[in-house]
Amino acid sequence: MDVSKYAALFLAESREHVSACNQLLLEWERDPGAVEPVGGLFRSIHTIKGMAATMGFTGVADLSHRTENLLDALRHGRAAPKPETFQLLFRAVDALGRAVEGAGAGSEPPADEGLGRDIDAAAGASGGDERPGAIATSSTPTRPVQVTIRSDAVMRGARASLVLRRAEALGRVTALRPPPAQLEREDFDGKFSFRLECAASNDEVAAALCTAGDVEAIRFEQTSPTEAAIGVRGRQIRVDLGRLDALMKQVGELVVAKNRLVVLAARAQDPLFEELSDRIARLVSGMQGEVIAARMAPVGEVFDRFPRLVRDVARDLGKRIRFDMEGEEIELDRSILDEIGEPLLHLIRNAADHGIETPDRRTGAGKPAEGRILLSANRERNSVALRVSDDGRGIDRAAILAKARREAMADASVETLTDDLLLRVLARPGFSTAEAVSGVSGRGVGVDAVMTRVRALGGTLDVKSEMGQGTTFTIRVPLTLAIVRALLAVAGNERYAVPLAYVAETVEFDPGAVTTVRSREALLVRDQMIPTVHLRHLVAGAAGPAPPRRPTIILEVGDRRTALVVDALMGQQDIVVEPFDAPRGMPPFVGGATILADGAPALILDAAALL
Amino acid sequence: MSHTVLVCDDAIFMRTMISDILAQAGFQVVGEAESGVQAVEKYHQLKPDLVTMDIVMPDMGGIEAVREICKTDPEAKILMCSAMGQQALVVEAIQAGAKDFVVKPFQPSRVLEAVQRVLG
Repeated sequence: MDVSKYAALFLAESREHVSACNQLLLEWERDPGAVEPVGGLFRSIHTIKGMAATMGFTGVADLSHRTENLLDALRHGRAAPKPETFQLLFRAVDALGRAVEGAGAGSEPPADEGLGRDIDAAAGASGGDERPGAIATSSTPTRPVQVTIRSDAVMRGARASLVLRRAEALGRVTALRPPPAQLEREDFDGKFSFRLECAASNDEVAAALCTAGDVEAIRFEQTSPTEAAIGVRGRQIRVDLGRLDALMKQVGELVVAKNRLVVLAARAQDPLFEELSDRIARLVSGMQGEVIAARMAPVGEVFDRFPRLVRDVARDLGKRIRFDMEGEEIELDRSILDEIGEPLLHLIRNAADHGIETPDRRTGAGKPAEGRILLSANRERNSVALRVSDDGRGIDRAAILAKARREAMADASVETLTDDLLLRVLARPGFSTAEAVSGVSGRGVGVDAVMTRVRALGGTLDVKSEMGQGTTFTIRVPLTLAIVRALLAVAGNERYAVPLAYVAETVEFDPGAVTTVRSREALLVRDQMIPTVHLRHLVAGAAGPAPPRRPTIILEVGDRRTALVVDALMGQQDIVVEPFDAPRGMPPFVGGATILADGAPALILDAAALL
Repeated sequence: MSHTVLVCDDAIFMRTMISDILAQAGFQVVGEAESGVQAVEKYHQLKPDLVTMDIVMPDMGGIEAVREICKTDPEAKILMCSAMGQQALVVEAIQAGAKDFVVKPFQPSRVLEAVQRVLG
């Protein structure tokens, strides 16, 4: 397994967060009364902490944990931000940036204890006691260890675990690569590495590890990421993702030009021109397919880091958790894949921390002592569903409903909490049902961070939970971000693009089939009542009367449906999704913008926001 | 003085073979057990220097027996005997406290190497 993939992902994501932290700090310093920056900072630092702990970068994890404590104190008004506080936070973010770069390059810089103490002091007394046991700093040296098991040895994985037992007898073992589950695979090649924290000399360590037998070589150095990446599977080359992005952008432009060409050719009524335009259209489609395929990578690349995480969390919390993964081979666009790791990390941590009960409680409730978390990927039309399910305690709907009423998100007449409302409450910034704060998760970071991230990808988030039975979160994301197939719809004088990934079917709006469900208009389609949304009503300035015949697009996200009534449909088109900085006041159902075949701009509708 | 060994396997064939390999190398096979329960009993009774333990046995498997033995004697020197394809079980046994393993079919030299490592 290519271990450098984790390191590269860690580095890329952490860099983004560090840079976001700097911007947020600047924003916050300008307006110390603002509440958004501190929330964003907290989430970014929290994410870095989670990733670093997973990677075994204890220095980064420790520093982010302390910074997070300080931010938590500031967020809850326990400590007011002073100019010195901002200066301290900038120092912390800078140190974090250096630590991240160092860890990514193979050597974490030594911890700046002075800085750590300053942060703890600023956070007040709350700093020290919340530090999780797993992230202990100590002066015992840790060293990287690379072990190669003889290639003719039988059961190399079992041999590796003997080596690890020997290592554990010497000191603390962290950052094991590949993860334990992979050591036991038949195709494990006998090479593994870890960090060992112990006082013994290299020679003593080597001698002790060799007593495990069948050890060919022991080296005390870091595997260089490139070295690990080269030499896996034969005829492949590594391409900078930036190049693929550039290529994708060019192909995107080409697709727009091609769409334009097809329109012109149809108008020109010249057979030769038309034939040529057809040919170019086919070639461009083929090329687009190839570029998208080149950008696809199996979700397993992101999944692989989670078993270790669950194992560690379970051990820290004294729980027994079986972690299973399905559909690792399902592919997603690289850019989506890079973004999806963090939301999944939050959901899995939440499941392990808050979902699964302690063995005692489970047996008491008549459940097996060992809890189960399943992470699965499934292809659904043009999207991929990623699910995190646990068989834990489930969400206490009564408590959530009470909370929703207190915060005026539900009026007193609401008696049952639907999954939709449940998600809305869970996704409130700062919301937490955690009974206790642990180092693992649950300081109110989580569902809102997941929601924000997933929505930014054009995806959706769903939750299903049953008290005592468990909780399932489903993230749905499009297969690729850059070019999507869309249905073009008209309302008034404007055209809108609806990504096909969420279109179940189109029907004719039949006024005779309109009924009312809970004071909302609904359409009866094959005995199923689907709430309606009229695009004309949503968009201001839809001039003129509605046409007599109105096509209706049935949108489907998971098992939720809505009927979007439009003025007319204009067929399908591949659209290039342009990065979109939504101006203030932009309605939430607009997910992006694109240029159509005739060169005119159109807004892309966000199906999830219309549900 | 030669080291004492307890051989645990439910098949007479395997017990005989392991005993022969070890006896020829100068070890003293002081007992045999054909189930996990027997293995634990005989371990406490005989206090052997070394135990060879089959993984799959009736009345408490080898892994469970390792766990039982290591509860009272974490330093017990137990060598697991496993068949091909039982890697996950071997790993479990190691986590339970087994000190090494050999894989069937046995090559006498391999068995003796492992025994030497375990006896250190």
